[in-house]
Amino acid sequence: MAAAEVPTAVVLARRQLYILPTAGGLVFSLLLAVLLLAAVNYTNSLAYGLCFLLAAIAIVSMLYTHRNLNGLNVSLGPCTPVFAGDPAGFEVCLDNSSESARFGVCVERDRTPARRVDLRAGEQCYVRIDVPARRRGYVTAPPLVISTRFPLGLLYAWSRRIQLPQRCLVYPRPVPPGPTPIAPDEQFAQDQNPRAEGEDFLGLREFRPGDSPRHVSWRAVARGQGMLTKQFGGGGRASLWLDWDTLAGLDTEHRLSQLCRWVLDCEHAGLHYGLRLPDTQIAPAHGEAHRRRCLTALALFPG
Amino acid sequence: MKQAQPDRWGLNGLLMTSVLVLAPHALRLPGWIVLVCAGALAWRFAVENRGWHNPHAIVRIALTALVAAAIYEHYGTLLGRDAGTGFLAALLALKFLELRQWRDCLVIVFLCQLLLLAGFLYSQSVGLATYSLLVIVICMASVVRLNQPTGMLLRDYPRLASALLLKAVPLMLAMFVLFPRIHGSLWRLPSDAYSGVTGISEVMRPGSLSRLSVSDAPAFRVEFDGKPPHTEQLYWRGMVLWHTDGQRWVAGKAKTELDSTLSFEHLGAPVRYTITAEPSNKPWMLALDLPLLVPRQARVRAGHLLEHRTPVHKRKSYTLVSYLHYNTGALTPAERDYALQLPDQVSARTRALANEWRQSSGDNLAIAQSALDYFRRLPFFYTLEPPRLGKDPVDEFLFSTRRGFCGHFTSAFVTLMRAAGVPSRVVQGYQGGEFNPAGGYLLVRQADAHAWAEIWQAGRGWVRIDPTAAVAPERVQFGIDTVRRLHGRGIDLGNLSADAVRRLIELGWFEAAWRGLRFYWDATNLAWHRSVLGYDRARQERLLAKLSLPELSAAGLLAALAVTVVIGLILLALSMHRARRHDPTHAAYLVFCNKLRRIDIARADTEGALMFARRVAALRPDLQTPVGVITDLYLRIRYGGLVGAEPVRVLKQKIAQFQPARRLFDTN
Repeated sequence: MAAAEVPTAVVLARRQLYILPTAGGLVFSLLLAVLLLAAVNYTNSLAYGLCFLLAAIAIVSMLYTHRNLNGLNVSLGPCTPVFAGDPAGFEVCLDNSSESARFGVCVERDRTPARRVDLRAGEQCYVRIDVPARRRGYVTAPPLVISTRFPLGLLYAWSRRIQLPQRCLVYPRPVPPGPTPIAPDEQFAQDQNPRAEGEDFLGLREFRPGDSPRHVSWRAVARGQGMLTKQFGGGGRASLWLDWDTLAGLDTEHRLSQLCRWVLDCEHAGLHYGLRLPDTQIAPAHGEAHRRRCLTALALFPG
Repeated sequence: MKQAQPDRWGLNGLLMTSVLVLAPHALRLPGWIVLVCAGALAWRFAVENRGWHNPHAIVRIALTALVAAAIYEHYGTLLGRDAGTGFLAALLALKFLELRQWRDCLVIVFLCQLLLLAGFLYSQSVGLATYSLLVIVICMASVVRLNQPTGMLLRDYPRLASALLLKAVPLMLAMFVLFPRIHGSLWRLPSDAYSGVTGISEVMRPGSLSRLSVSDAPAFRVEFDGKPPHTEQLYWRGMVLWHTDGQRWVAGKAKTELDSTLSFEHLGAPVRYTITAEPSNKPWMLALDLPLLVPRQARVRAGHLLEHRTPVHKRKSYTLVSYLHYNTGALTPAERDYALQLPDQVSARTRALANEWRQSSGDNLAIAQSALDYFRRLPFFYTLEPPRLGKDPVDEFLFSTRRGFCGHFTSAFVTLMRAAGVPSRVVQGYQGGEFNPAGGYLLVRQADAHAWAEIWQAGRGWVRIDPTAAVAPERVQFGIDTVRRLHGRGIDLGNLSADAVRRLIELGWFEAAWRGLRFYWDATNLAWHRSVLGYDRARQERLLAKLSLPELSAAGLLAALAVTVVIGLILLALSMHRARRHDPTHAAYLVFCNKLRRIDIARADTEGALMFARRVAALRPDLQTPVGVITDLYLRIRYGGLVGAEPVRVLKQKIAQFQPARRLFDTN
């Protein structure tokens, strides 16, 4: 895995940087022409001097502009999966490992500056780039351009388009919570009732009359936390299957959205659930990793 | 794209820039433009700092139109140096009232630069150049602030601007030296393109002047090859006035109609000197007495005068050889006619006086001597503030007022000479000058302007007679400066011995020091004029020849310029790169490595510090301890988060103390 061919970070070097005058810079060169014309015409040495000094300042500022980007390390942080319809947020990491500060560094996407940051010597800075994720699956990181107009605003330096290999996983958009448009299937309705049976310890909840004394957490009582009932679930039973086939009659995306909602609800309710899709089957389990596995399966469902 | 509202500090910087740019113009501009500028800038300052509001758009537009119309009304144009300056100044100030975004700020910056240039059309002094550098630093600092309002401390902006400027100066110098210069201008310049004061004019009208020009402005500077002549011998001839109508003297037709030749019989030793003349906007070319040769771009005028082919609008240097003793030989009939011309209105008593001398004296010189005696014997006074004279100024001066300066004495003298039948003429120019020991040259000011007479004497040709010297020898002996100082203290001239004058004008230590300082300052100015302001095509050619570069065409120069700029830029980039990489810790470590290399233990480029230390310890167990300590400290400073100046100091100290000796004998 570590030997991936595609670089995950880019160091901006001379060959990746371009520089051109801004609109202001073009007008500035017009000013220089006017000054030069006046100097020649009046054969005025100080006018020559002024014109050449301003030209030299503009030329020297080119070095500053270039240096402001040269050697900057650009990488992308890990991207948290999102649900379709939410923006996928890529964290662009700008790492200034040099001994001088960099000012007014812009992260641009589609020729529009997303944000401007200043980086002190040795400073790292994260810039979040939001990409709309309309469809489930993967969203690739957008090509980025790093640019600057420092120091005089007369010159504009920018990097070649940086395409980093990061992708963001997009889960299907869950249907809205609440009464589901589809009547839950009998099996699901039945299984959804969390019974305090089974072998897997799920957690503690407040004691309710009727709970078996065997399930009271006497250790908690001893610690003075009051009467708490140990909850058990799972037990390897196939009762909590979220099944593709139960949603017959709906189109694929709708089914995936519904399944997504159920996964979220089950996870939220602390249930033991499994996912059954036409070509894959995820055994009932519980927890963040399981949830992610299920949602990933939904996100990458072919079709 | 840019932040909508420009930064307040950046705007205040721009306001300051504008005030500084406008300040030198304030004295020259009409008062109302100054008021408009001050008002607009103050308003914007209040908007930025006191929460005022900008005036309404209609007010702004109306104001701009009104001011433009008023400027047009005032100057009759919007172009040219004076009107252009006024227009730009008003535009700059009014732009502040509708400044909204980055683009407007740039417009202001550009207007500021144009106004700086306009200032150079009035003066190109060292002082103004230095001042402009300061203005540019403030301007650039403001631009950086407006472009980058975050992340930097306020004091970083002027620092960055200064760094930009310092790095730009070598490039600027290269461009200044190599940019091809052309002769003349691209198009005809407006008549107000030049400024210049002059102490002499083509018309001498002594009666109508009630005050002599006392301008301290320099007229020209002279460097002599060898010892300069005495002050009383320094007569700088500028023009000869042949014609009078009784009130004024002009060169007249004689200037163009008489034969112009420089031929004369020279006596005594030649004087070689170089004159650097300030622009006079006139063609005259001053020379010490009679020049021998005609320099390039000059021609000869009747009366042994030199003249530039075109009016002199800029500082010019020329080298001449002159003779102070000469014989111009015989007079042509035409010359005699011009030299005896008198108007009919010369009064009877003037003619009678002249006739009396004619009868009693032998030759022309003796007649002249009678006239000088007359000035000396009767109560004639030299004064810088003579009474005004009426319709017959010569008669009034000779018989009633008897107070005047060189013009009065000379015009009366020449009138008398001509009435007595002595061919004579008025010469205008400068007399004397102040020797500058700091620069080794003579400075002649506008106040040194003088007029004197020349009479023709058979066997000697034209002879100079200075009637003023008869009355006020101090004028010629000590120069106009002395006269002014004595005058200022209410002391009359003419009755003092030379020693008494010297005693009177002796300077206190403060004045002497001040004078010395002024000498240095003027010498600096001359060097500035020579090497910077006077840098033209000829100087460029000479400089390139000195650098043993081939003579280049304009295109060649531009190519050389481009190459130089590119090389300069690369060098600058490398130096900036190195400065960035400079790390005192690493530098100290390299010293340490060098010491080891001297005992034949060289570190390979790829060898890490720790590996190197181990290798050294294996080779030289006796050095294990110091090498280990230094390496450890180095690694901890560089990578171990040890910060501050103290550890680096200790490291340097340890490395300085580390003196590995070559092994004298092999222990094996």
